[in-house]
Amino acid sequence: RLDANLISVVPERSFEGLLSLRHLWLDDNALTEIPVRALNRLPALQAMTLALNRIWHIPDYAFQNLSSLVVLHLHNNRIQHLGANGFDGLHNLETLDLNYNELLEFPGAIRTLGRLQELGFHNNNIKAIPENAFVGNPLLQTIHFYDNPIQFVGQSAFQYLPKLHTLSLNGATDIREFPDLKGTTSLEVLTLTRAGIRLLPRAVCQQLPNLRVLELSHNKIEDLPSFHRCQRLQELGLQHNRIQEIGADTFVQLLALRSIDLSWNDLHFIHPDAFVTLRSLTKLDLSDNRLAALPLGGLGGLTHLKLQGNPELSEPFAKDSFPNMRVLEVPYAYQCCTYGSCGGFFRASNQWEAEGASPEDEDPHRRALELFPGHADNHYDLEADDLQMDLEDSKLHPTIQCTPSPGPFKPCDHLFE
Amino acid sequence: VHPNVSQGCQGGCATCSDYNGCLSCKPRLFFVLERIGMKQRGVCLSSCPSGYYGTRYPDINKCAKCKADCDTCFTRNFCTKCKSGFYLHSGKCLEKCPDGLEANNHTMECASIVH
Repeated sequence: RLDANLISVVPERSFEGLLSLRHLWLDDNALTEIPVRALNRLPALQAMTLALNRIWHIPDYAFQNLSSLVVLHLHNNRIQHLGANGFDGLHNLETLDLNYNELLEFPGAIRTLGRLQELGFHNNNIKAIPENAFVGNPLLQTIHFYDNPIQFVGQSAFQYLPKLHTLSLNGATDIREFPDLKGTTSLEVLTLTRAGIRLLPRAVCQQLPNLRVLELSHNKIEDLPSFHRCQRLQELGLQHNRIQEIGADTFVQLLALRSIDLSWNDLHFIHPDAFVTLRSLTKLDLSDNRLAALPLGGLGGLTHLKLQGNPELSEPFAKDSFPNMRVLEVPYAYQCCTYGSCGGFFRASNQWEAEGASPEDEDPHRRALELFPGHADNHYDLEADDLQMDLEDSKLHPTIQCTPSPGPFKPCDHLFE
Repeated sequence: VHPNVSQGCQGGCATCSDYNGCLSCKPRLFFVLERIGMKQRGVCLSSCPSGYYGTRYPDINKCAKCKADCDTCFTRNFCTKCKSGFYLHSGKCLEKCPDGLEANNHTMECASIVH
Protein backbone atom coordinates (compact mmCIF):
# COMPACT_ATOMS: atom_id res chain seq x y z
CA ARG A 1 0.00 0.00 0.00
CA LEU A 2 1.40 3.37 -1.05
CA ASP A 3 -1.81 5.35 -0.78
CA ALA A 4 -2.13 8.74 0.88
CA ASN A 5 1.43 9.95 0.38
CA LEU A 6 3.04 12.71 -1.69
CA ILE A 7 4.50 10.54 -4.45
CA SER A 8 4.88 12.47 -7.70
CA VAL A 9 7.18 10.07 -9.58
CA VAL A 10 7.53 6.26 -9.59
CA PRO A 11 11.02 5.38 -10.88
CA GLU A 12 11.18 2.66 -13.52
CA ARG A 13 12.71 -0.02 -11.32
CA SER A 14 10.52 0.63 -8.27
CA PHE A 15 8.68 -2.70 -8.59
CA GLU A 16 11.52 -4.78 -9.98
CA GLY A 17 11.30 -8.41 -8.83
CA LEU A 18 7.75 -8.14 -7.52
CA LEU A 19 6.54 -10.80 -9.94
CA SER A 20 3.80 -11.95 -7.60
CA LEU A 21 2.40 -8.56 -6.62
CA ARG A 22 -1.38 -8.66 -7.04
CA HIS A 23 -2.84 -5.52 -5.42
CA LEU A 24 -1.37 -2.00 -5.68
CA TRP A 25 -2.68 1.14 -3.95
CA LEU A 26 -1.21 4.37 -5.32
CA ASP A 27 -4.28 6.52 -4.73
CA ASP A 28 -4.22 9.92 -3.07
CA ASN A 29 -0.75 10.95 -4.21
CA ALA A 30 0.68 13.62 -6.53
CA LEU A 31 1.26 11.67 -9.77
CA THR A 32 0.78 13.65 -12.98
CA GLU A 33 1.63 10.76 -15.29
CA ILE A 34 0.83 7.03 -15.42
CA PRO A 35 4.05 5.30 -14.24
CA VAL A 36 4.12 3.19 -17.43
CA ARG A 37 7.64 1.72 -17.18
CA ALA A 38 7.34 0.84 -13.50
CA LEU A 39 4.02 -0.88 -14.11
CA ASN A 40 5.42 -2.92 -16.99
CA ARG A 41 7.20 -5.16 -14.47
CA LEU A 42 4.06 -6.44 -12.69
CA PRO A 43 2.73 -9.42 -14.69
CA ALA A 44 0.63 -10.76 -11.78
CA LEU A 45 -1.09 -7.48 -10.87
CA GLN A 46 -4.88 -7.95 -10.58
CA ALA A 47 -6.15 -4.78 -8.92
CA MET A 48 -4.77 -1.24 -8.93
CA THR A 49 -5.96 2.21 -7.93
CA LEU A 50 -4.40 5.42 -9.19
CA ALA A 51 -7.40 7.48 -8.03
CA LEU A 52 -7.05 10.97 -6.50
CA ASN A 53 -3.90 11.97 -8.35
CA ARG A 54 -3.27 14.67 -11.00
CA ILE A 55 -2.94 12.45 -14.05
CA TRP A 56 -3.92 14.44 -17.14
CA HIS A 57 -3.61 11.87 -19.94
CA ILE A 58 -3.36 8.14 -20.69
CA PRO A 59 -0.81 7.45 -23.42
CA ASP A 60 -1.07 4.55 -25.88
CA TYR A 61 0.00 1.17 -24.41
CA ALA A 62 0.09 2.64 -20.87
CA PHE A 63 -0.90 -0.72 -19.31
CA GLN A 64 0.43 -3.02 -22.02
CA ASN A 65 1.87 -5.77 -19.79
CA LEU A 66 -0.91 -5.86 -17.22
CA SER A 67 -2.72 -8.81 -18.78
CA SER A 68 -3.89 -10.07 -15.37
CA LEU A 69 -5.45 -6.77 -14.28
CA VAL A 70 -9.13 -7.12 -13.34
CA VAL A 71 -9.83 -3.81 -11.56
CA LEU A 72 -8.45 -0.36 -12.54
CA HIS A 73 -9.54 2.78 -10.67
CA LEU A 74 -8.60 6.14 -12.17
CA HIS A 75 -11.35 8.28 -10.67
CA ASN A 76 -10.76 11.86 -9.44
CA ASN A 77 -7.86 12.69 -11.72
CA ARG A 78 -7.61 15.34 -14.51
CA ILE A 79 -7.63 13.03 -17.50
CA GLN A 80 -8.50 14.94 -20.67
CA HIS A 81 -6.80 12.85 -23.33
CA LEU A 82 -6.93 9.10 -23.80
CA GLY A 83 -4.86 7.42 -26.53
CA ALA A 84 -6.81 5.27 -28.99
CA ASN A 85 -4.71 2.33 -27.75
CA GLY A 86 -4.56 3.48 -24.17
CA PHE A 87 -6.07 0.28 -22.77
CA ASP A 88 -4.43 -2.25 -25.11
CA GLY A 89 -3.14 -5.29 -23.25
CA LEU A 90 -5.80 -5.27 -20.49
CA HIS A 91 -7.35 -8.54 -21.71
CA ASN A 92 -8.88 -9.46 -18.34
CA LEU A 93 -10.12 -6.07 -17.16
CA GLU A 94 -13.63 -6.25 -15.67
CA THR A 95 -13.98 -2.94 -13.81
CA LEU A 96 -12.84 0.46 -15.14
CA ASP A 97 -13.55 3.62 -13.14
CA LEU A 98 -12.96 6.88 -15.05
CA ASN A 99 -15.42 8.94 -12.99
CA TYR A 100 -14.67 12.56 -12.03
CA ASN A 101 -12.17 13.35 -14.76
CA GLU A 102 -12.09 15.90 -17.64
CA LEU A 103 -12.59 13.62 -20.65
CA LEU A 104 -13.83 15.60 -23.64
CA GLU A 105 -14.56 12.63 -25.84
CA PHE A 106 -16.05 9.19 -25.41
CA PRO A 107 -13.23 6.81 -24.28
CA GLY A 108 -13.04 4.83 -27.52
CA ALA A 109 -9.99 2.97 -26.21
CA ILE A 110 -12.37 0.73 -24.26
CA ARG A 111 -13.19 -1.19 -27.47
CA THR A 112 -10.28 -3.61 -26.70
CA LEU A 113 -11.68 -4.51 -23.25
CA GLY A 114 -13.59 -7.65 -24.21
CA ARG A 115 -14.26 -8.77 -20.60
CA LEU A 116 -15.38 -5.41 -19.23
CA GLN A 117 -18.41 -5.67 -16.92
CA GLU A 118 -18.49 -2.39 -15.00
CA LEU A 119 -17.69 0.95 -16.63
CA GLY A 120 -17.97 4.40 -15.08
CA PHE A 121 -17.25 7.74 -16.70
CA HIS A 122 -19.78 9.95 -14.94
CA ASN A 123 -18.84 13.56 -14.13
CA ASN A 124 -16.75 14.22 -17.23
CA ASN A 125 -17.22 16.63 -20.19
CA ILE A 126 -18.35 14.16 -22.86
CA LYS A 127 -20.90 15.50 -25.39
CA ALA A 128 -21.57 12.47 -27.56
CA ILE A 129 -21.78 8.70 -27.40
CA PRO A 130 -20.91 7.45 -30.88
CA GLU A 131 -22.46 4.71 -32.97
CA ASN A 132 -21.38 1.18 -31.90
CA ALA A 133 -19.80 2.74 -28.81
CA PHE A 134 -19.68 -0.54 -26.84
CA VAL A 135 -19.30 -2.97 -29.71
CA GLY A 136 -16.17 -4.40 -28.06
CA ASN A 137 -17.73 -4.88 -24.64
CA PRO A 138 -20.49 -7.54 -24.86
CA LEU A 139 -20.24 -8.43 -21.15
CA LEU A 140 -21.07 -4.95 -19.83
CA GLN A 141 -23.54 -5.05 -16.94
CA THR A 142 -23.42 -1.47 -15.67
CA ILE A 143 -22.47 1.80 -17.37
CA HIS A 144 -22.54 4.98 -15.29
CA PHE A 145 -22.22 8.18 -17.36
CA TYR A 146 -24.55 10.72 -15.73
CA ASP A 147 -23.43 14.32 -15.23
CA ASN A 148 -21.92 14.64 -18.71
CA PRO A 149 -23.21 17.30 -21.14
CA ILE A 150 -24.30 14.52 -23.56
CA GLN A 151 -26.25 15.88 -26.47
CA PHE A 152 -25.91 13.15 -29.08
CA VAL A 153 -26.25 9.36 -28.77
CA GLY A 154 -25.73 7.09 -31.76
CA GLN A 155 -28.77 4.99 -32.69
CA SER A 156 -26.70 1.81 -32.39
CA ALA A 157 -24.66 2.91 -29.36
CA PHE A 158 -26.34 0.51 -26.89
CA GLN A 159 -26.96 -2.46 -29.16
CA TYR A 160 -25.86 -6.02 -28.35
CA LEU A 161 -25.29 -5.58 -24.63
CA PRO A 162 -27.11 -8.73 -23.45
CA LYS A 163 -26.04 -8.29 -19.80
CA LEU A 164 -26.89 -4.60 -19.40
CA HIS A 165 -29.73 -4.08 -16.95
CA THR A 166 -29.86 -0.32 -16.46
CA LEU A 167 -29.58 2.51 -18.99
CA SER A 168 -30.06 6.14 -17.97
CA LEU A 169 -29.97 9.02 -20.44
CA ASN A 170 -31.17 12.42 -19.23
CA GLY A 171 -31.09 15.70 -21.11
CA ALA A 172 -29.51 14.46 -24.33
CA THR A 173 -31.51 16.99 -26.34
CA ASP A 174 -30.10 15.95 -29.71
CA ILE A 175 -31.69 12.51 -29.47
CA ARG A 176 -34.58 12.53 -31.94
CA GLU A 177 -35.24 8.83 -32.25
CA PHE A 178 -35.67 6.07 -29.73
CA PRO A 179 -32.38 4.11 -29.63
CA ASP A 180 -32.20 0.75 -31.39
CA LEU A 181 -31.64 -1.69 -28.52
CA LYS A 182 -31.37 -4.85 -30.60
CA GLY A 183 -29.63 -7.58 -28.56
CA THR A 184 -29.82 -5.67 -25.26
CA THR A 185 -32.46 -8.02 -24.00
CA SER A 186 -31.78 -7.99 -20.24
CA LEU A 187 -32.58 -4.29 -19.81
CA GLU A 188 -34.80 -3.77 -16.77
CA VAL A 189 -34.62 -0.01 -16.22
CA LEU A 190 -34.61 2.42 -19.15
CA THR A 191 -34.61 6.14 -18.40
CA LEU A 192 -34.59 8.42 -21.42
CA THR A 193 -35.85 11.84 -20.39
CA ARG A 194 -35.59 15.43 -21.66
CA ALA A 195 -34.72 14.44 -25.21
CA GLY A 196 -36.63 15.04 -28.44
CA ILE A 197 -38.26 11.67 -29.01
CA ARG A 198 -41.54 11.84 -30.95
CA LEU A 199 -42.24 8.23 -31.72
CA LEU A 200 -41.81 4.92 -29.96
CA PRO A 201 -41.05 1.96 -32.21
CA ARG A 202 -43.92 -0.52 -32.54
CA ALA A 203 -41.49 -3.29 -31.55
CA VAL A 204 -40.11 -1.54 -28.45
CA CYS A 205 -41.28 -4.35 -26.19
CA GLN A 206 -40.03 -7.09 -28.45
CA GLN A 207 -36.49 -5.75 -27.96
CA LEU A 208 -37.01 -5.24 -24.20
CA PRO A 209 -39.02 -8.20 -22.81
CA ASN A 210 -37.56 -7.80 -19.30
CA LEU A 211 -38.33 -4.11 -18.86
CA ARG A 212 -39.57 -3.23 -15.35
CA VAL A 213 -39.25 0.57 -15.37
CA LEU A 214 -39.69 2.76 -18.46
CA GLU A 215 -39.22 6.48 -17.80
CA LEU A 216 -39.74 8.68 -20.90
CA SER A 217 -40.87 11.97 -19.38
CA HIS A 218 -40.17 15.35 -21.00
CA ASN A 219 -40.08 14.20 -24.61
CA LYS A 220 -42.41 14.94 -27.57
CA ILE A 221 -44.24 11.65 -27.81
CA GLU A 222 -47.68 11.95 -29.43
CA ASP A 223 -48.65 8.36 -30.04
CA LEU A 224 -48.20 5.23 -27.95
CA PRO A 225 -47.67 1.71 -29.30
CA SER A 226 -49.12 -1.26 -27.49
CA PHE A 227 -46.88 -2.20 -24.56
CA HIS A 228 -48.48 -5.60 -24.21
CA ARG A 229 -45.21 -7.49 -24.81
CA CYS A 230 -43.56 -5.68 -21.89
CA GLN A 231 -45.04 -8.27 -19.59
CA ARG A 232 -42.82 -7.36 -16.57
CA LEU A 233 -43.43 -3.63 -16.77
CA GLN A 234 -44.13 -2.18 -13.31
CA GLU A 235 -43.60 1.56 -13.66
CA LEU A 236 -44.35 3.72 -16.70
CA GLY A 237 -43.44 7.43 -16.73
CA LEU A 238 -44.80 9.38 -19.70
CA GLN A 239 -45.41 12.78 -18.08
CA HIS A 240 -44.73 15.95 -20.02
CA ASN A 241 -45.27 14.60 -23.51
CA ARG A 242 -47.97 15.27 -26.19
CA ILE A 243 -50.03 12.09 -25.93
CA GLN A 244 -53.64 12.56 -26.99
CA GLU A 245 -55.30 9.17 -26.76
CA ILE A 246 -55.04 5.88 -24.91
CA GLY A 247 -56.35 2.93 -26.89
CA ALA A 248 -57.87 -0.35 -25.75
CA ASP A 249 -54.61 -2.23 -26.38
CA THR A 250 -52.06 0.34 -25.15
CA PHE A 251 -51.69 -1.25 -21.72
CA VAL A 252 -53.48 -4.53 -22.36
CA GLN A 253 -52.41 -7.54 -20.28
CA LEU A 254 -49.72 -5.63 -18.31
CA LEU A 255 -50.47 -7.65 -15.18
CA ALA A 256 -47.46 -6.32 -13.23
CA LEU A 257 -48.02 -2.64 -14.00
CA ARG A 258 -48.31 -0.75 -10.70
CA SER A 259 -47.97 2.91 -11.63
CA ILE A 260 -48.63 5.08 -14.72
CA ASP A 261 -47.82 8.77 -14.93
CA LEU A 262 -49.49 10.47 -17.89
CA SER A 263 -49.67 13.95 -16.35
CA TRP A 264 -49.02 17.04 -18.46
CA ASN A 265 -50.07 15.55 -21.81
CA ASP A 266 -52.84 16.37 -24.31
CA LEU A 267 -55.11 13.49 -23.36
CA HIS A 268 -58.72 13.97 -24.44
CA PHE A 269 -59.79 10.34 -24.88
CA ILE A 270 -59.19 7.10 -22.94
CA HIS A 271 -60.78 3.95 -24.30
CA PRO A 272 -63.28 2.37 -21.84
CA ASP A 273 -61.21 -0.85 -21.79
CA ALA A 274 -57.84 0.88 -21.46
CA PHE A 275 -57.24 -0.15 -17.79
CA VAL A 276 -59.49 -3.21 -17.58
CA THR A 277 -56.70 -5.82 -17.42
CA LEU A 278 -54.36 -3.89 -15.06
CA ARG A 279 -54.97 -5.82 -11.86
CA SER A 280 -51.82 -4.53 -10.12
CA LEU A 281 -52.40 -0.83 -10.87
CA THR A 282 -52.34 1.25 -7.69
CA LYS A 283 -51.07 4.66 -8.85
CA LEU A 284 -52.47 6.65 -11.79
CA ASP A 285 -51.64 10.28 -12.55
CA LEU A 286 -53.74 11.88 -15.28
CA SER A 287 -53.45 15.44 -13.99
CA ASP A 288 -53.21 18.41 -16.34
CA ASN A 289 -54.76 16.96 -19.46
CA ARG A 290 -58.03 17.61 -21.39
CA LEU A 291 -60.15 14.74 -20.08
CA ALA A 292 -63.93 15.05 -19.78
CA ALA A 293 -64.48 11.47 -18.62
CA LEU A 294 -62.55 8.72 -16.85
CA PRO A 295 -63.28 5.04 -17.62
CA LEU A 296 -63.44 3.25 -14.26
CA GLY A 297 -63.04 -0.32 -15.49
CA GLY A 298 -59.93 -1.84 -13.89
CA LEU A 299 -59.30 1.07 -11.47
CA GLY A 300 -60.78 -0.62 -8.40
CA GLY A 301 -57.36 -1.29 -6.90
CA LEU A 302 -56.13 2.32 -7.01
CA THR A 303 -54.65 3.83 -3.86
CA HIS A 304 -53.42 7.05 -5.53
CA LEU A 305 -55.32 8.88 -8.28
CA LYS A 306 -54.56 12.39 -9.57
CA LEU A 307 -57.02 14.15 -11.88
CA GLN A 308 -56.64 17.87 -11.09
CA GLY A 309 -56.11 20.12 -14.06
CA ASN A 310 -58.85 18.50 -16.15
CA PRO A 311 -61.48 21.28 -15.97
CA GLU A 312 -64.09 19.37 -17.96
CA LEU A 313 -63.93 16.35 -15.63
CA SER A 314 -66.75 17.58 -13.39
CA GLU A 315 -68.70 14.42 -12.53
CA PRO A 316 -68.38 13.28 -8.88
CA PHE A 317 -67.37 9.66 -8.32
CA ALA A 318 -69.28 7.00 -6.45
CA LYS A 319 -67.60 6.09 -3.17
CA ASP A 320 -67.35 2.39 -4.02
CA SER A 321 -65.53 3.08 -7.29
CA PHE A 322 -62.23 3.19 -5.36
CA PRO A 323 -62.45 0.95 -2.25
CA ASN A 324 -58.67 1.12 -1.57
CA MET A 325 -58.16 4.82 -2.27
CA ARG A 326 -55.80 6.72 0.04
CA VAL A 327 -54.73 9.82 -1.91
CA LEU A 328 -57.15 11.44 -4.35
CA GLU A 329 -56.62 14.74 -6.16
CA VAL A 330 -59.64 15.91 -8.18
CA PRO A 331 -60.49 19.01 -10.22
CA TYR A 332 -63.22 20.31 -7.88
CA ALA A 333 -63.71 20.38 -4.10
CA TYR A 334 -67.24 19.04 -4.28
CA GLN A 335 -65.86 15.83 -5.76
CA CYS A 336 -64.19 15.21 -2.40
CA CYS A 337 -67.51 15.29 -0.54
CA THR A 338 -68.27 11.73 -1.60
CA TYR A 339 -65.36 10.68 0.60
CA GLY A 340 -66.64 12.42 3.67
CA SER A 341 -64.21 15.27 3.62
CA CYS A 342 -67.13 17.30 4.81
CA GLY A 343 -66.73 15.94 8.40
CA GLY A 344 -68.65 12.70 7.92
CA PHE A 345 -65.76 10.33 7.53
CA PHE A 346 -63.14 11.38 10.09
CA ARG A 347 -63.26 9.13 13.13
CA ALA A 348 -64.45 12.07 15.26
CA SER A 349 -64.24 11.56 18.97
CA ASN A 350 -68.02 11.31 19.30
CA GLN A 351 -67.92 8.28 17.04
CA TRP A 352 -65.70 6.48 19.59
CA GLU A 353 -68.27 7.27 22.34
CA ALA A 354 -71.05 5.95 20.15
CA GLU A 355 -69.27 2.62 20.33
CA GLY A 356 -68.85 2.88 24.10
CA ALA A 357 -65.04 3.09 23.94
CA SER A 358 -62.51 5.84 23.77
CA PRO A 359 -59.31 5.72 21.71
CA GLU A 360 -57.14 5.23 24.79
CA ASP A 361 -59.09 2.14 25.94
CA GLU A 362 -58.90 0.55 22.53
CA ASP A 363 -56.78 -2.65 22.81
CA PRO A 364 -53.91 -2.13 20.34
CA HIS A 365 -53.82 -5.87 19.60
CA ARG A 366 -57.54 -5.94 18.67
CA ARG A 367 -57.09 -2.72 16.67
CA ALA A 368 -54.14 -4.30 14.92
CA LEU A 369 -56.17 -7.36 13.98
CA GLU A 370 -58.71 -5.06 12.36
CA LEU A 371 -55.95 -3.45 10.39
CA PHE A 372 -54.15 -6.68 9.55
CA PRO A 373 -56.65 -9.54 10.03
CA GLY A 374 -54.29 -11.91 8.19
CA HIS A 375 -51.85 -11.90 11.10
CA ALA A 376 -54.17 -13.13 13.81
CA ASP A 377 -52.66 -16.60 14.04
CA ASN A 378 -48.96 -15.99 13.87
CA HIS A 379 -48.96 -13.13 16.37
CA TYR A 380 -46.90 -10.14 15.22
CA ASP A 381 -44.79 -10.98 12.20
CA LEU A 382 -44.68 -7.21 11.60
CA GLU A 383 -41.92 -5.10 13.05
CA ALA A 384 -43.25 -3.59 16.28
CA ASP A 385 -42.56 -0.05 15.08
CA ASP A 386 -44.37 -0.59 11.74
CA LEU A 387 -47.39 -1.65 13.72
CA GLN A 388 -47.11 1.37 16.02
CA MET A 389 -46.75 3.66 12.98
CA ASP A 390 -49.92 2.31 11.40
CA LEU A 391 -51.86 2.69 14.59
CA GLU A 392 -50.71 6.28 14.84
CA ASP A 393 -51.38 6.75 11.13
CA SER A 394 -54.97 5.57 11.37
CA LYS A 395 -55.67 7.74 14.39
CA LEU A 396 -54.31 10.98 12.95
CA HIS A 397 -55.24 10.86 9.30
CA PRO A 398 -58.57 10.17 7.60
CA THR A 399 -58.51 7.01 5.43
CA ILE A 400 -58.66 9.09 2.24
CA GLN A 401 -56.67 12.27 1.73
CA CYS A 402 -58.81 14.10 -0.85
CA THR A 403 -57.89 17.52 -2.26
CA PRO A 404 -59.00 20.21 -2.85
CA SER A 405 -60.90 19.73 0.39
CA PRO A 406 -64.22 21.54 0.62
CA GLY A 407 -64.61 24.54 2.85
CA PRO A 408 -66.69 27.66 3.37
CA PHE A 409 -65.79 28.98 -0.04
CA LYS A 410 -65.72 25.57 -1.72
CA PRO A 411 -69.03 24.10 -0.61
CA CYS A 412 -70.11 20.51 -1.06
CA ASP A 413 -73.08 21.42 -3.19
CA HIS A 414 -72.32 21.69 -6.86
CA LEU A 415 -73.44 25.29 -7.32
CA PHE A 416 -73.91 25.19 -11.04
CA GLU A 417 -76.36 22.35 -11.32
CA VAL B 1 -19.80 26.02 15.26
CA HIS B 2 -22.89 23.87 15.88
CA PRO B 3 -23.59 23.68 19.68
CA ASN B 4 -23.48 19.87 19.67
CA VAL B 5 -20.10 19.70 17.92
CA SER B 6 -17.29 19.72 20.42
CA GLN B 7 -13.79 20.83 19.56
CA GLY B 8 -11.74 18.69 21.89
CA CYS B 9 -11.98 15.55 19.73
CA GLN B 10 -9.94 12.46 20.25
CA GLY B 11 -8.13 10.15 17.86
CA GLY B 12 -8.27 11.18 14.24
CA CYS B 13 -11.53 13.13 14.45
CA ALA B 14 -11.68 16.52 12.83
CA THR B 15 -15.12 17.22 14.32
CA CYS B 16 -17.09 15.12 16.77
CA SER B 17 -20.01 15.18 19.16
CA ASP B 18 -20.39 13.64 22.57
CA TYR B 19 -23.24 11.46 21.44
CA ASN B 20 -22.13 10.42 17.92
CA GLY B 21 -18.35 10.30 18.27
CA CYS B 22 -16.46 11.42 15.15
CA LEU B 23 -18.44 13.39 12.58
CA SER B 24 -15.53 13.90 10.21
CA CYS B 25 -11.90 12.77 10.09
CA LYS B 26 -8.50 14.38 9.70
CA PRO B 27 -6.96 14.07 6.22
CA ARG B 28 -6.08 10.59 4.91
CA LEU B 29 -8.06 8.73 7.62
CA PHE B 30 -11.07 6.53 6.91
CA PHE B 31 -14.46 7.28 8.44
CA VAL B 32 -16.25 4.20 9.86
CA LEU B 33 -19.59 3.90 11.68
CA GLU B 34 -19.26 1.47 14.58
CA ARG B 35 -22.41 -0.08 15.99
CA ILE B 36 -22.57 -0.25 19.78
CA GLY B 37 -25.90 -1.84 20.75
CA MET B 38 -28.59 0.38 19.30
CA LYS B 39 -26.19 3.29 18.86
CA GLN B 40 -23.76 4.14 16.08
CA ARG B 41 -20.55 6.06 16.71
CA GLY B 42 -18.19 7.50 14.14
CA VAL B 43 -14.52 6.54 14.36
CA CYS B 44 -11.50 7.49 12.23
CA LEU B 45 -8.98 4.81 11.24
CA SER B 46 -5.79 4.74 9.18
CA SER B 47 -7.13 1.72 7.33
CA CYS B 48 -10.46 -0.06 7.16
CA PRO B 49 -11.26 -2.93 9.55
CA SER B 50 -11.22 -6.53 8.34
CA GLY B 51 -14.19 -7.36 6.13
CA TYR B 52 -14.26 -3.78 4.78
CA TYR B 53 -12.54 -1.98 1.90
CA GLY B 54 -11.62 1.67 1.64
CA THR B 55 -12.35 4.15 -1.12
CA ARG B 56 -10.74 7.57 -1.10
CA TYR B 57 -12.64 10.62 -2.34
CA PRO B 58 -11.69 14.31 -2.35
CA ASP B 59 -13.93 15.14 0.60
CA ILE B 60 -14.06 11.89 2.58
CA ASN B 61 -12.47 8.45 2.77
CA LYS B 62 -15.06 5.76 3.37
CA CYS B 63 -15.09 2.11 4.38
CA ALA B 64 -17.69 -0.26 2.94
CA LYS B 65 -18.42 -3.94 3.48
CA CYS B 66 -16.98 -6.74 1.34
CA LYS B 67 -19.39 -9.36 0.03
CA ALA B 68 -20.71 -12.02 2.39
CA ASP B 69 -18.36 -14.74 1.08
CA CYS B 70 -15.27 -12.57 1.34
CA ASP B 71 -12.94 -11.82 4.27
CA THR B 72 -10.86 -9.03 2.76
CA CYS B 73 -11.37 -7.18 -0.55
CA PHE B 74 -10.02 -4.45 -2.83
CA THR B 75 -13.49 -3.37 -3.92
CA ARG B 76 -16.89 -4.91 -3.34
CA ASN B 77 -16.58 -6.97 -6.50
CA PHE B 78 -12.93 -7.92 -6.09
CA CYS B 79 -12.07 -10.17 -3.16
CA THR B 80 -8.48 -10.70 -1.97
CA LYS B 81 -9.18 -13.42 0.63
CA CYS B 82 -12.32 -15.59 0.74
CA LYS B 83 -14.14 -16.95 3.74
CA SER B 84 -13.46 -20.59 4.59
CA GLY B 85 -15.10 -23.04 2.22
CA PHE B 86 -14.52 -20.82 -0.82
CA TYR B 87 -11.69 -20.75 -3.35
CA LEU B 88 -10.32 -17.44 -4.65
CA HIS B 89 -10.05 -16.93 -8.41
CA SER B 90 -9.48 -13.54 -10.07
CA GLY B 91 -11.15 -11.68 -7.25
CA LYS B 92 -14.12 -14.03 -6.96
CA CYS B 93 -15.00 -16.59 -4.27
CA LEU B 94 -16.08 -19.89 -5.76
CA GLU B 95 -17.34 -23.06 -4.14
CA LYS B 96 -15.74 -25.03 -6.99
CA CYS B 97 -12.86 -24.08 -9.27
CA PRO B 98 -13.63 -23.59 -12.96
CA ASP B 99 -12.64 -26.24 -15.52
CA GLY B 100 -8.97 -26.23 -16.29
CA LEU B 101 -7.99 -25.11 -12.78
CA GLU B 102 -7.47 -27.13 -9.66
CA ALA B 103 -8.33 -26.27 -6.05
CA ASN B 104 -5.31 -25.71 -3.78
CA ASN B 105 -6.56 -26.49 -0.28
CA HIS B 106 -3.44 -24.94 1.27
CA THR B 107 -3.82 -21.49 -0.25
CA MET B 108 -7.58 -21.90 -0.82
CA GLU B 109 -7.11 -20.67 -4.36
CA CYS B 110 -7.73 -22.03 -7.85
CA ALA B 111 -4.43 -22.72 -9.56
CA SER B 112 -3.36 -23.84 -13.01
CA ILE B 113 -3.02 -27.60 -13.30
CA VAL B 114 0.67 -28.51 -13.22
CA HIS B 115 1.38 -31.51 -15.53
